[in-house]
Amino acid sequence: MEPDHRDHRCHRPSAFDKMEGLVREMQDTEHGGVPVRSQKLFLTSIPAAFMGYDLIEWLMERLGIEESEALNLANQLCQYGYFFPVSDSKNLVVKDDSSLYRFQSPYYWPWQNRPPDNVEYAIYLAKRTLRNKQRHGLEDYELEALSNLRKNLANKWDFITMQAEEQVKLSKVLKKGDKIISDSQERAYWRVHRPPPGMVTSLEQCPVPTRSWNGSRTRKRTIEDCRRDVELLKNSLSRTRVKVSQALEGMVQHVETYAEYDPLITPTQPSNPWVSEDTTYWQLNSALVEIPTEKRVRRWALSMEELVSDPTGLQEFTNYLRKEYSHENIRFWMAVNDLRRSAQSQIQRKVNEIFEEFLAPGAPCEINIDGKTMEKVHQEMKAPSRFTFDAAQEHVYTLLLKKDCYPRFIRSEYYKNLLATGIQPSQKKRFFGFGQTKKKTSTSSAPNQQLLQQQPSQGATVTCGALSKRRGSDRSLSGSAHELAVSGVKDSKVPHSHSQSNLSDIPYRGDLACLPKTSPIAAPVTSPVKKPSIAIVAGASTSEEVCPWESGNEPRSRKNSAQLDSGSSSSDISVAVAEVSERVQRVCTLTQQHTVDGSRKLSTSTMDPPRRASVSVPITHSTTTGDSSKRKVSSFEDNSSAATSTSSSVFVIPSDTDNKAEECTSTSKTVVKNHGLAKACSVTGANAPIISVSSVADDLPVDSKVEEEAEATCSQQEPLAPLAEPDSESPASELPPSEPITEVEVDTEAKSNDVCPWEDDNPVQAKTCSITASAQRTLNPP
Amino acid sequence: MNELDSLRQEAETLKNAIRDARKAACDTSLVQATASLEPIGRVQMRTRRTLRGHLAKIYAMHWGSDSRNLVSASQDGKLIVWDSHTTNKVHAIPLRSSWVMTCAYAPSGSYVACGGLDNICSIYSLKTREGNVRVSRELPGHTGYLSCCRFLDDNQIVTSSGDMSCALWDIETGQQVTSFLGHTGDVMSLSLSPDMRTFVSGACDASAKLWDIREGLCKQTFPGHESDINAVTFFPNGYAFATGSDDATCRLFDIRADQELAMYSHDNIICGITSVAFSKSGRLLLAGYDDFNCNVWDSMKTERAGILAGHDNRVSCLGVTENGMAVGTGSWDSFLRIWN
Repeated sequence: MEPDHRDHRCHRPSAFDKMEGLVREMQDTEHGGVPVRSQKLFLTSIPAAFMGYDLIEWLMERLGIEESEALNLANQLCQYGYFFPVSDSKNLVVKDDSSLYRFQSPYYWPWQNRPPDNVEYAIYLAKRTLRNKQRHGLEDYELEALSNLRKNLANKWDFITMQAEEQVKLSKVLKKGDKIISDSQERAYWRVHRPPPGMVTSLEQCPVPTRSWNGSRTRKRTIEDCRRDVELLKNSLSRTRVKVSQALEGMVQHVETYAEYDPLITPTQPSNPWVSEDTTYWQLNSALVEIPTEKRVRRWALSMEELVSDPTGLQEFTNYLRKEYSHENIRFWMAVNDLRRSAQSQIQRKVNEIFEEFLAPGAPCEINIDGKTMEKVHQEMKAPSRFTFDAAQEHVYTLLLKKDCYPRFIRSEYYKNLLATGIQPSQKKRFFGFGQTKKKTSTSSAPNQQLLQQQPSQGATVTCGALSKRRGSDRSLSGSAHELAVSGVKDSKVPHSHSQSNLSDIPYRGDLACLPKTSPIAAPVTSPVKKPSIAIVAGASTSEEVCPWESGNEPRSRKNSAQLDSGSSSSDISVAVAEVSERVQRVCTLTQQHTVDGSRKLSTSTMDPPRRASVSVPITHSTTTGDSSKRKVSSFEDNSSAATSTSSSVFVIPSDTDNKAEECTSTSKTVVKNHGLAKACSVTGANAPIISVSSVADDLPVDSKVEEEAEATCSQQEPLAPLAEPDSESPASELPPSEPITEVEVDTEAKSNDVCPWEDDNPVQAKTCSITASAQRTLNPP
Repeated sequence: MNELDSLRQEAETLKNAIRDARKAACDTSLVQATASLEPIGRVQMRTRRTLRGHLAKIYAMHWGSDSRNLVSASQDGKLIVWDSHTTNKVHAIPLRSSWVMTCAYAPSGSYVACGGLDNICSIYSLKTREGNVRVSRELPGHTGYLSCCRFLDDNQIVTSSGDMSCALWDIETGQQVTSFLGHTGDVMSLSLSPDMRTFVSGACDASAKLWDIREGLCKQTFPGHESDINAVTFFPNGYAFATGSDDATCRLFDIRADQELAMYSHDNIICGITSVAFSKSGRLLLAGYDDFNCNVWDSMKTERAGILAGHDNRVSCLGVTENGMAVGTGSWDSFLRIWN
């Protein structure tokens, strides 16, 4: 019977085959189906019924699933009308108890026939009105439906009543038990197909005009269609097929490589904003970021596509190439991408612009493509379209960018520095009781309120400035040096984002600088040995004051400001680098520092990164004594610059520390709390700074991971001593000890100014200020 | 007529030859190839947010590229743009036709599109000078309902339709640039490749097709399903895609190997699939089912890794954010849920 039906059956999802198969198995009592029998309920006996828990048990056993799932499945089948509750005609719900259910007759299964029409419904309702009121009385909604139908089907009403009477007559012949069963089945059927108002029905389809594909609706296939099909099939046959093993290998590799970047598999750092309500993650990972997270930078090394699909990655890549005076390729590539997304009306103009800039003989940024491709371009130029330069772009992308520039970028010192300075918003394990509590990685990108709020707190959290060995420092150092080395004194000329970023970083990393210096190569993996030295430095520089916390305050603020500057500048960079640079210089004294830095580097260090590193180390040491003072100075500058620059810009750094703190405690959700924590931390830090330092040093050697973390913490905290600062300072090393104090004060003021935007934090700010003040005091003694 | 017959015959022989060629390339199975892969364990996700505001069944949702905002379409005749983190409604857009079946968020975040039984793809501009949301373009031309649409960029959009075709539109001019013909049933879903140069479509002819957007040609056809394909989604590396069908299975197809690699099904899954999406790495395949649940498949081991239970009606749409942080599901129970 199946095949017969199938032909005129309307479109039927084949999932129903599976359902019917399962239901048939259930009904097969002889071979272990659901036990169906006549059930006794008080005095009445209910024929052909089974109990809810028998059904659930059967499903669990048969399919090897849990109870909840079995229940869900049973409910689904019930909704589709394969069985129904005997005593409840309103709700199609299966319960895992002794309530009774009965199988629907296959005749009434869904999709066995066309969906019922209103005439059938009218007959059914009319039939019930002819029968015993008590047992077959109509519900309110059914009465309403009946009266509506009577109106709408007035011309057929005679036929309908006749049919109803006929059916009633026929049913009288049945035995009582059978009658009960068939009545209930019919009723259940209509319950499914004409549900009471407000009830959902699983049979409801998308309101789509019949989605039939094997039936009536197919368009007459023309010879054209067939020809096209054959053509496609021929192409398809001749195509080369990769072996499945090879395809799978690629897929498995992809899955393994990216598991780490899949937040549903590997939890995100610092925290999942959906759970923690802390949006730091988003700030850290927004499209354009001053300082990307380390993880993000690492990801760029996976493939060229990863790099250029990340706006920040693309920007850094461009900056790198610009430094090498070979960025015309990437610019061309971007211009063609832009062309492809342009409105039709602008295509002509853009095509010409691109041609003039990159391809015309003697063009200002002529790209190097072979004659054949050039010819193609010329041909395409006759009818400009979105795809005019596709061939050239492909050429540039695969041959120049991907095979040459990209690998060079990934191997470059520039990239390594990015990696080294990358933020590591890891959840801190606490091995530093006090300092750790507060850490937040800062992101430069999003001007988030939270961040802002957090900033003050960060300020509060002073980290071991002296200690800090951020990778950041590394980057800034080498980066700037690199620039210098490459381009000579081209500050004005190549105002890279990079340089800017360096600037921004510098304040930050200054503290960190120590580390990077020690480790010539990648900052992140600072060797334990170095750390100790750092610690020492810290100790030397400021006995107790060193406490990172206090020092941190100032640096932080600076950082923030610096970041602001850098952030804004960086974003601009892409647009107009030169402008940015100018502005940056104007805005912040930092720039000056930077330049100083750079010049210094030039003089002192050659291009070798390692060398620089070594050089720098001494510098830091020397500076360490004056560190505090320097920091203050720098911070001061930063603050001022920040204030001037723009409140709107993004600061993030502080937030990082906060986040971490949050994580550590895992309790504090509100920023305010963080602040409080920060305060506490700072206080404690002040008390036991030395200890913390030493502990850090010890830990580092033990385990690289720990080290990293320490670094991260340091880095976060370390806003303290930016590289630039030391350098700048050293020149100005004359700073008398007394100076620091005054500066600090200034600092606090500046901070307060900065803070203003985030007023919520005011109290916190005040606290931080006081803290800093105390810190300064402590510093002063030495 | 004779020519038609001979063409049909030729097509038949070609199909057989292709089948053989595919078999020849199939030298291993997914299970074998991933035997050494670490098991993923049980994936447990919870509802982090419930977005309440629609008054009727939700038919479609799409994440914005910021991984935070999303747009949903409901048959109460509204598009709602949500900030899924705060659960605030950013925009509520009343539609001219309430029979909406799909919606899409432009990568730039400036536009949303929707369409349905009105056969028209309507583009709404979210960032107008006046600050209100208004129709910026209507794209008529399909002769069947609009089943899916996805922006290439602010100027181009690809649509699929119940008229068995897909189309590329220039939004500025409102013209259909390319028509993608070849399916023999309603096209239900499309998914753009990561490089935006190709897309796959799934249709009621139980086949999926790969199309070249620029050339407007079908590059490959993937048979295998026994019933309508309701949903397709690209594997993150762009070399494979997954489909969800009314035959209660999801399948994985590889483009370079030109064939089906895996099937995701279970004895106790006996209902159709409405929507599919991969996690960021591709390891997890999430699928929305008619039985009110979403199943999380370990795509490499073809085992079920988890289940998202919470909706009170069929799950009609599902999406993973671009950064992979969260999963959004929309249901006929009129709610959207955010999971991770």
